Amino acid sequence: MAGRRAAVKAVDWAAFAERVPPNQKAMFNALKTRSDALSARLAALPEKPPTIDWAYYKSVVAKAGMVDEFQKKFSALKVPEPVDTQTAKVNAQEQEAAKSTAEYVQASKARIAQYEQQLQKLRNMIPFEQMTYEDLHEAFPETRLDKEKYPYWPHKPIADL
Amino acid sequence: VLHTARPLHTTRQRSAPLPPLPEKGGKVRFGLIPEEFFQFLYPKTGVTGPYMLGTGLVLYLLSKEIYVINHETVAAACILSIIIYGVKKFGPSVADFADKLNEEKVAKALAVKNEAIQDLESAIEQEKKEQWRVEGHHYLFDAKRNNIAMLLETNYRERLLMVYNEVKKRLDYQVAMQTLKRQKEQDHMIQWVEKNVIQSITPQQQKESIAKCIVDLKALSKTAQAAV
Repeated sequence: MAGRRAAVKAVDWAAFAERVPPNQKAMFNALKTRSDALSARLAALPEKPPTIDWAYYKSVVAKAGMVDEFQKKFSALKVPEPVDTQTAKVNAQEQEAAKSTAEYVQASKARIAQYEQQLQKLRNMIPFEQMTYEDLHEAFPETRLDKEKYPYWPHKPIADL
Repeated sequence: VLHTARPLHTTRQRSAPLPPLPEKGGKVRFGLIPEEFFQFLYPKTGVTGPYMLGTGLVLYLLSKEIYVINHETVAAACILSIIIYGVKKFGPSVADFADKLNEEKVAKALAVKNEAIQDLESAIEQEKKEQWRVEGHHYLFDAKRNNIAMLLETNYRERLLMVYNEVKKRLDYQVAMQTLKRQKEQDHMIQWVEKNVIQSITPQQQKESIAKCIVDLKALSKTAQAAV
């Protein structure tokens, strides 16, 4: 039967657990327990049910055609496989996740570039002993005093002193 | 003229930032006369030259009364001596104190800058870690698919098992029914035969059989000993 054993890929729970951020640990634990419960249930069931001993029944049961009839119907019976409706959804989810992951990684890289830029600026700064106030205002624009908004000394609201 | 014509300090084109300020001022002797003057006269007059010059000048001023000694001289002498004593004694400690203040200011600024650098670095670390974390999203989906596969498989096996169980139950029922019926028939027949036999024992036969039993018992009791 094709697709009966839809391959159960071995999930490396240890590596998975490493990558879970702390605020999602509860969800991860829930998932893990569910997975474990499922695999335990699966392991408890035998793969094939034991075969019925037709010869014995044929010899014992008095009613003539009954056993033969049962045997015929039994071997002709096909147990339908349960239909897989969810895998497609999971695959779709995975695609979406891949997309949003790529976006997040992009944004993250942009942020890293920004940080790197600032880091370079800070690292290449001249030491404070050699700075004038002009140099300080260039390096840290927030230290610049607004002489237009507050024309009188100390050029900033008194509360900010 | 100098202030208005040429604007100063307005261009930002500097080849280098300000060079660091020198640690100590130029060397002076007597607190007044720079060392360069002594070096300037050294080639011509040697080491004692400037001293001779100075002594000669002072004597000239005093003797010609270009500088007149009056009460202000004494006041000046006292004041100067006290000032010089004070500066020599407490100068270094005050200088250190002022230096410390400046150091603290600079250190604070440096601390802020270092903290900013560290924050940025840790932010970069965090971002990289988050990227690594997010890369593991396939684990989640693998686990989900596994769950689904396991569920399907379990379901299928359960169905197979159910079919088997049901068929077996029915067959076993038939067998059990048969055996029960056969047993009941046997019991009934046995009972019926026993009843009939007992009925057919006439009283005469009963007496004869009891007498025979007693004779047999007597014969047996002779041979067998009662076990104590």
